[in-house]
Amino acid sequence: MGSEHLSNDVRRLRFENGQITQQQLADRVGVTRQTIIAIEAGNYAPSLPLAFRIARTFGVPIEEVFRYDE
Amino acid sequence: MSKFQKSAWFNLGFLTIGSLFALLCFYWAAGRIEEGFNYINVILFLLMLCFIVPVVYIIGQKKSYEACFDEREKMINQRATSFSLWSLLIVLYLTCFVPFVAFGGGNIIKVVYLPVIFIFTVLTAQLIKSIAIIVQCTLEEKNG
Repeated sequence: MGSEHLSNDVRRLRFENGQITQQQLADRVGVTRQTIIAIEAGNYAPSLPLAFRIARTFGVPIEEVFRYDE
Repeated sequence: MSKFQKSAWFNLGFLTIGSLFALLCFYWAAGRIEEGFNYINVILFLLMLCFIVPVVYIIGQKKSYEACFDEREKMINQRATSFSLWSLLIVLYLTCFVPFVAFGGGNIIKVVYLPVIFIFTVLTAQLIKSIAIIVQCTLEEKNG
């Protein structure tokens, strides 16, 4: 339980999907740019609905975007 | 800076100026209050009401505005709210028990201090909430 971490590939997927900006992704999933920044930096673990919305935006399964590291 | 941070800064500025103004007005008025029922007391009561009602209205407006915040901002807001409530309890405890320790249980406190305690505790809670939001956002930006 001590060293759990949720890592993600949001930044990489943004660049692979037409280099969309943080603001554009934020608008598409309905959050602020600061939230996308926090998610990319690993400072904030999004809720399941938001995680699914982000994965759906990139057209990939959720486990391709977020990984649970123990 | 996001709307969330801007609203926290606005809240902080508004409440700082408001609390200073309220305490100054009260300090000025308290010196003119006579004992017992008096028309000055009634006027003062109405003036305080004129101050408190807009403050409550603005806080209420902000609550409905907060519905537009996203999930991360709501989480920061909840954390700040619980922090401010704990601070409120500590401030109330200190306000009530420090005079008790300093002056002893058999002493008498002037009634004029009761509204001051009310204004002070409510504004302290709001100020601490704003500061907690600003600090959390700043720390996130630094770490990001």
